[in-house]
Parts: sequence; structure tokens; C-alpha cells
Amino acid sequence: MALPQLFEFHVRPRILYGPRSVREIGFEANKLGGTRAFIVTDKMLRQVGLAQRVADGLAGSGVTLVGIFDDVPPNSEVKVVEAGAAYAREAGCDLLIALGGGSVMDTAKGMNVLLSEGGSLLDYEGAGLLTRPLKPFIAIPTTAGTGSEVTIAAVIRDEAQGLKLEFNSPFMMPDVAILDPELTLSLPPGLTAATGMDALTHAIETLVSTGTQPLSDALAIGAIKLIAANLRQAVQHGDDLEARGAMLLASNMAGIAFSNAMLGIVHAMAHPCGGRYGVPHGVANSILLPYGMAYNLPTCAPRLAEVAAALGVETRGLDDETAALAGIAAVRQLAADCGLPARLSEVGVPHEGLAQLAADSQGDAMMMTNPNPAGEEDVLALYERAF
Amino acid sequence: MPVFKDAEQLYDCIGGVLDYLRTDETVSVAFRKSGLVIRFKYSDPDSEITLDGSQDPITLTCGPCDRAPTVDMTMSADTAHQFWLGKVNLVAALTRGAMKAKGPIPAIMKLLPVITPAYKKYPDILREKGLDNLINV
Ligand SMILES: [Fe+2]
Repeated sequence: MALPQLFEFHVRPRILYGPRSVREIGFEANKLGGTRAFIVTDKMLRQVGLAQRVADGLAGSGVTLVGIFDDVPPNSEVKVVEAGAAYAREAGCDLLIALGGGSVMDTAKGMNVLLSEGGSLLDYEGAGLLTRPLKPFIAIPTTAGTGSEVTIAAVIRDEAQGLKLEFNSPFMMPDVAILDPELTLSLPPGLTAATGMDALTHAIETLVSTGTQPLSDALAIGAIKLIAANLRQAVQHGDDLEARGAMLLASNMAGIAFSNAMLGIVHAMAHPCGGRYGVPHGVANSILLPYGMAYNLPTCAPRLAEVAAALGVETRGLDDETAALAGIAAVRQLAADCGLPARLSEVGVPHEGLAQLAADSQGDAMMMTNPNPAGEEDVLALYERAF
Repeated sequence: MPVFKDAEQLYDCIGGVLDYLRTDETVSVAFRKSGLVIRFKYSDPDSEITLDGSQDPITLTCGPCDRAPTVDMTMSADTAHQFWLGKVNLVAALTRGAMKAKGPIPAIMKLLPVITPAYKKYPDILREKGLDNLINV
């Protein structure tokens, strides 16, 4: 395979993995030069005691916990970020800790921009607008899917405009990501399944993206293997620490991969389902992934054959197209085994809404790196099939 | 050495391709629908062009403009030149800092498929102005 002419591969956070690795947070915070730490999380995670574990990890390290902001909703909003930043500033915070899923991470990223640079969040909507490092920032994911602990982007909703705003800058990445599988043990089966399929979608879309490159490829293939071998177990036996750990790593690896190589049509189609009808991100991806793979197959059969092999499909003796089709079937089976719905009609998307979704998908940045260009009509046909 | 010798030449060439887009039917419909006011801020030579899709007909201003932009795109004039020659990957340019975008990125991305046909037009515009030498820069 020809190598791309020019590519870059960035990975900022130092990654610490292990059951109970959250105990190392004091050491890590100290090393980053923090003295007054502030935790961003949600009410549920605080209630089940996870925020307390972070607080315990800080004890005796010389880093003081100066506040906990737990008002983060499932989809973050501008006013939440601004309230969180005001609280953290008042508390005199000099280091941020995000404990949670994608929404918490995005909130903390936005808060860090405001804490470090001041102004209003809307001033930073766009790409490449930050010019220097922000305050030290540690991310501790409690779901295994979004990979937000290693990505440069944050998506935050502006209720006033009714729009989702995108913020992109390498400076928004955390400095350290702590992957402690014990913190994901309480994740219920439905969420485990959906977030796991989000990670699988990241890995597969990365491999066929036009931004593909050898470094992200290796991580994406590794992630697919881990997900194929562990997602069912993590869903069906949530207390299996090994399976939880493998999923947390897979999510992280797929996150690094897609942050560098970008995604494609599945995400471009899943985003509007979330925006218009509140379909959870992982569920929308899981439903649409087989259709997106099939649409791209004519342009990247050899790549999808590699995906099939990584999924554990016996591909010896098969031509690329047959192997790719077997890989698509394996993705369907995995989603079904994890109890996820297979059709958009099952998750509250009305048939008359499909045309608007297809129009929305055309504005999604992820469509730019899809290997098989897709106009509004192509996308509508795919939504129809997935309905 | 920068591609364009001065702002005048940039307005002639980059302004030329933007003016072509302004009057192209498909593009103008999509651009009017977006309602965006895009200000391109260039360096080497320092210059700016504003494309205002908030009113009909769409207006193009070379040089400072009073309209408040909804999107600010900042880049070197050389990057803009390469972009219109179809040699710049927008996503890579944004992540690598060759371009900065302030404002709603999805709205810009949505316009991209309709403006890319102008990649073919840009060399023609350069040729018409006797600037064939810039095509392979
Ligand atoms: Fe995703």
C-alpha cells in the first residue's frame, strides 16, 4: 500500500492504565504542577462514590481538592460550561480533573478554555483558535466508547441558538488520561453495549477514512480485536474486570486512531439522529454501521476484509468482497448479541424525518473523509434501508 | 517568496474565483441559504475579502468591510492559492493550523461540496489574467 504523502500523528495525554490506577491521581496532579484541583463530573457518578475515589486518590499528595462541579447533563450546554468555569475560578482551581463520559469530558475541555483564556465560550467556536497550553488537565473516563480523553474536539450545545457548537484545538486535549476499569464496572449493559459499538465504529471508520495512515491503522485494528473478543462479555457480565479493561483500552486506542485519521459516513449519519431525535450516539452508530460499510465496500473491499479478519471472521480463501460482507454480518451479529436495536424505526426516528436527516448529514465534517462520496440522495437511500 | 506580489493581485485572482462563485447559480443558492458572512483574512500580502450571503444579491468586498462576519477564515495568501488549485485538504489544514476558522464549522463544511467545482475554474482565471506562471506554484 502506498504511504500517504504527508501525515501527522498527535497523541498528547500520557496514558496510565490499571485497576485502581485512580489512586495515582495525586502523584499525577502533583507532577503536572497542580496544587488546587477541581473535579468535573455528574450527579450519578458522584452518588455512586466515584468522585470520592478521586478525592481519596488526591489525599496526602499535597494537591488540595477545592471543589466538585456535578451539574453536567447527558449533553453538555454552553451555560453549563460557563457556570462550571465560574465555580472553578471562584474556587481558585489550577488543575482540572474530568471524571465521566463524553459530555463531562467536553464540559471540562470547554471550562479549561475559559479558565485559562477568559472571555466567552462562543469566542472559541471553530478550529485552531487556541495558541498556547491551557491549565493542566487530567481525564478519567467512566464509559468505554467516546475516546474523548484523547481527542482534540468538544461538542457543546448552545440552547440560545438551538445549535451544537464545535470546538477543535490540540490544546484542549488532556495532559494525562487515567484508565481505571474499576470505574466502569457500574456502567449498565445497555450503555456498555452502545458505547462499545461507538468505539467499534471509530475503529472501522478510521481504517477506511481518506485520512488513513499507518499509525492510526495499527491502533484501529488492535481496538477491533479487543472489542470483538470482549464486548459481549462486558455487556453480559459487567463485573468481569478483564473484559471491562479491554473495552476501556479499545475505546482509548480507537479514540487516538480517529482523532488522527478522522471518521466517515456512519458518524455523519449518526450525528443528525442524535441532534433531531435524541438517539443515543452509540445506538445510532450501531444501527448505521453495517449500512455505511456496505456503501463504502466498492471503494475499500481489501480494507473491510482486514476489518473482518480483526473481528475474528475466518477469511482464508475468501476474496476481499466476500470477506468484507462476512465482516458486515459479524458487526450485525455483535450488535444483536449485545441487545442493541437494528432499525431506526425502533429508536424514535419518524419516517417523515429521514429527508431532513439526509440534508443535515451533508454539513457534517466527517463526511469529508468518507472514502465513497455520498450526496443527499445516497444518504437518504441508506436511511431508508436502515429504517 | 509569496505567490502574489501585492494585495491588488490577490484581489484580482482570489477575488476573481470568489466572484465566479458568487454568480454561479448552484453556489449562490446554497450560500444564500446558509446566510453566512464569510471574511477571509490573508497574510503575505495582508488583505481581506468578505463574501456576504446574508443579502440578495450576494456581495463581494475586496478590502475592509463593515459587515460583521459570522465566519472568519484566516490563512496565508499562499494557502488560499493552493486551496483554489485543489491542493489543500481543508480538514488537515484546520488541524495543522494552516487555516484557522472562527465560527460554525458545520456551516462551512456544508458549502464545501458546492464550491469544489471552482477548483477547475481557478486556473482558467489565472490564465485569463496572463498569470499562467502561478498555476504550478
Ligand atoms: Fe463516535
